[in-house]
Amino acid sequence: MPTDQSPVLSVRNLVVEFSTENGIVRAVDDVSFDVYPNETVGLVGESGCGKTVTGLSLLGLIPSPPGRIVSGQILLDGTDLATLTEPKMREIRGSEISMIFQEPMTALNPVFTIGNQMIDVLMCHRRLTRRQSRAAAIEMLSKVGIPVPDQRVDEYPHQLSGGMRQRVMIAMALSCDPKLLVADEPTTALDVTTQAQVLEQINKLQDEFHMAVILITHDLGVVAETCRRGIVMYCGRVIENASIEGLFERPLHPYTVGLLESIPRIRTERLVELPIIPGRVPNLLHLPDGCRFAGRCFKVSDHCRRVSPVLQSYEGSTDYVACHTPCRAREAANV
Amino acid sequence: MSEVGNPPLLQVRDLKKYFPVRGGLLHRVTAQVRAVDGVDFEIGHGRTLGLVGESGCGKSTLGRAILRLHEPTSGQVLLEGVDFTALDRKALVAERRRVQIIFQDPFASLSPRRTVAQIIREPLDVHRIGTPDERAHRVLELLDVVGMGPEVRDRYPHEFSGGQRQRIGIARALALSPKFIVADEPVSALDVSVQSQVLNLIAKLKREHGIAFLFISHDLAVIQHVSDEIGVMYLGRIVERAAVDDLYREPKHPYTRALLSAIPVPDPNRKSQPVVLFGDVPSPMNPPSGCPFHTRCPEAMAICSERRPPVIDVGSDGHTHDVACHLFSPAP
Amino acid sequence: MNAVSGAVRARASVRRESLWSKAFYKFRRDRAGMLSFGVVLLYMIAALGVWLGWWATGWSAVEGGKWQGMSATHWFGTNMIGQDIFDRALYSTKTAFEVGLVVAVLSTAVGALLGAIAGFFSGGWLDEIVIWIMGVLDSIPFYLFVAAIAFAMQDNPYAMHVAMISTFWTGVARLIRGEVIKLRGLEYVEAAHAIGVPEYTIIFRHILPNTAHILLVQATITFVAAIKSEVILSFLGLGVKDGMSWGLMIAESSQEVLAGFFNNFLAASIFMFGLVMAFNMFSDALQDSLDPRKVS
Repeated sequence: MPTDQSPVLSVRNLVVEFSTENGIVRAVDDVSFDVYPNETVGLVGESGCGKTVTGLSLLGLIPSPPGRIVSGQILLDGTDLATLTEPKMREIRGSEISMIFQEPMTALNPVFTIGNQMIDVLMCHRRLTRRQSRAAAIEMLSKVGIPVPDQRVDEYPHQLSGGMRQRVMIAMALSCDPKLLVADEPTTALDVTTQAQVLEQINKLQDEFHMAVILITHDLGVVAETCRRGIVMYCGRVIENASIEGLFERPLHPYTVGLLESIPRIRTERLVELPIIPGRVPNLLHLPDGCRFAGRCFKVSDHCRRVSPVLQSYEGSTDYVACHTPCRAREAANV
Repeated sequence: MSEVGNPPLLQVRDLKKYFPVRGGLLHRVTAQVRAVDGVDFEIGHGRTLGLVGESGCGKSTLGRAILRLHEPTSGQVLLEGVDFTALDRKALVAERRRVQIIFQDPFASLSPRRTVAQIIREPLDVHRIGTPDERAHRVLELLDVVGMGPEVRDRYPHEFSGGQRQRIGIARALALSPKFIVADEPVSALDVSVQSQVLNLIAKLKREHGIAFLFISHDLAVIQHVSDEIGVMYLGRIVERAAVDDLYREPKHPYTRALLSAIPVPDPNRKSQPVVLFGDVPSPMNPPSGCPFHTRCPEAMAICSERRPPVIDVGSDGHTHDVACHLFSPAP
Repeated sequence: MNAVSGAVRARASVRRESLWSKAFYKFRRDRAGMLSFGVVLLYMIAALGVWLGWWATGWSAVEGGKWQGMSATHWFGTNMIGQDIFDRALYSTKTAFEVGLVVAVLSTAVGALLGAIAGFFSGGWLDEIVIWIMGVLDSIPFYLFVAAIAFAMQDNPYAMHVAMISTFWTGVARLIRGEVIKLRGLEYVEAAHAIGVPEYTIIFRHILPNTAHILLVQATITFVAAIKSEVILSFLGLGVKDGMSWGLMIAESSQEVLAGFFNNFLAASIFMFGLVMAFNMFSDALQDSLDPRKVS
């Protein structure tokens, strides 16, 4: 990780709440992390951990009501996005920071051609004429690997396959050369062979555009292949933030250890029983005192149940963990 | 795989399911979607066949066609020797006790306005098994088998998480003590840390109750744990079928190899080298001539677009390993 | 693991609510809804009291002079013959509820039944027949249809009810048919098939209960439509034959208005407007609280 550069994105103590009919839910609870230029960071966790809400809040897309950013800073090259008004935010969305979503079918408007949708974006942010925008759109489409882009540009979303639509979304997101791309589960809805193609594309484009990418996913395999850094979230908090090698070879947090072990993967020797993380994710409305993972943790202590751990550097390194009893190297069972 | 002399539990012979596409003013049939295009396999008692393939390959349709939830267009399904596909309506209801199904979507697979007890009891009520007291008792038994306590009886599905709902669905499938269960992507919609819990449960049912499964999934990692044999489907046909260890160690069909290579490995030191396939999956309305895979196959030859490859057994040591690929067919 | 299962069990006992009770709690917090419900309740009590003979029994008695103004004995004054206007308006509440309830319940029932069958067997001949019937009925002008039925039924007092039910059920049926087509593709219906549940049992046990929230709201809408239609029909002489209704009051007041006496007309209109308005608001609030996307 380049330490002489300053981060393109700095999230500091972000708190996002939703008011539901049963009470107020803190979907994101005091989350901080940095993303450096030209770096892909994986934001990992299961449903309800807050990763998607974090991603949406970066772009100011939290539906409000019922949600709102309560406190914290989102610094994009120094500008605090959390304090911007909606018109100012609209200027930034698409041009400085872009997002692609999970469901390509619903993310593209079915009644407009993809060319029209891309031209909209280009004309809005880059102030090009229609003809210039069309040319730029075609160029973008070929960059994301869509064959015969000059024909495809006039097609409608339903005429394209899922993988193609996702590429179109990527093309749209990148057409204005943003500094940061937030990809929310971009390949979850795709077949594994298509997923491989799309991930390869994202990697290539990141190099070409010198972009930072935040990849939100629950798939640790995808993280291992594309990211340089992994941030693990649980119940709205960051519980581990480590380099990829560190995360997979020396996972610190017992949840990360459990996750790596219990995720179904192809093994050379089959097991009679797969390892599991016992219990379930706690209800965000009834969070326990102390560490939120205590009820399921194999290394839990009394102290863990009473005091909530804070994200700290592990033994002075650049890997961070929020745990009173982190796992030491090699303690995690080898798979 | 099957005991000598006894018919295997399930035999599927040249099963086809086509869906008509209607168009034009008079709703005439203009095309057929060939969802399942000639499938053959057998499953022995207590064994599990894992069926893997990507979206559109027809695996879900196949699972439902076997149960006659979609009526097969042609072909046969034999359950312990009995022709399931030829049964009339009344006999079919009685025979349904032997095969059950678990669904992918935990949220849509349970009736929202019925309690858990009612949901699990329904199969017993329909087939009039036991007295009402015995049925209530059986419901508690089944809940215990899937690891849930009796206090959930009077609750509604929306009060439970995805993993718990899947367990309820499994309890319902077990109610009639079936010998065979079709599991259609039972863990795909669950959180990753819950998937293993449910997979362990299914493996336990296999071991302790001797139930045979047709386990349908798009995820080769998930399927490895529960299957004895694996079938790979592409555009309505099985292109490779082998014992589970053989398939992962020595995949033969180019599609299987591409599939295995594309799976991202959670290990940063072993980046997958995906065999990148050209283009997209063709439409099942208009499958390519000859081998359906030839349009994307990195090893396609001239013959592949002309003739459909026969299924050849390339296994050794008494293991069957079927492949439908011209790379393996004998020289003409 | 004991701590875990204990926690699981403790958390489990917190949320023991059915979908209906959740809707109920939501409705309670909707002030406009509660207010309108209160008004509807008042009307209902009024109608009940008339039916039980507690009040407005003397609605047809000639008590006062012609066209008396509002006074302590006659709250709204008297009409041309000398009957108490308020009593007549109050009595008409019973008529309104009678018509409204009978038509709402029966047309919703018929619509639900036919709509569910059409939707479940969609694409088949049953569906085609039901759709065709719906199309035919919808293309006949409503008031002509009522007149025809009244004629055919030889002035039977229920001719109006029959006519209304025969036309109002199509709206319900269309809605239910659409919803059933959506529901029958869901996995729990497939599960019922896989178990061997007979088809009609599937419709009534699994599918229709999941349309209950739609049916309830439709019934309230039909109630209001029935009341409004009755007013017009009675005004035209095709509606209520014996007894009193707001429509009849408005009809008889048409001459009075020309003479400058508005009380009769106003009383009937105000009563009717109050009930229709309150019921509409109640129906909206009901729909909001039953919305399955917001409940659970």
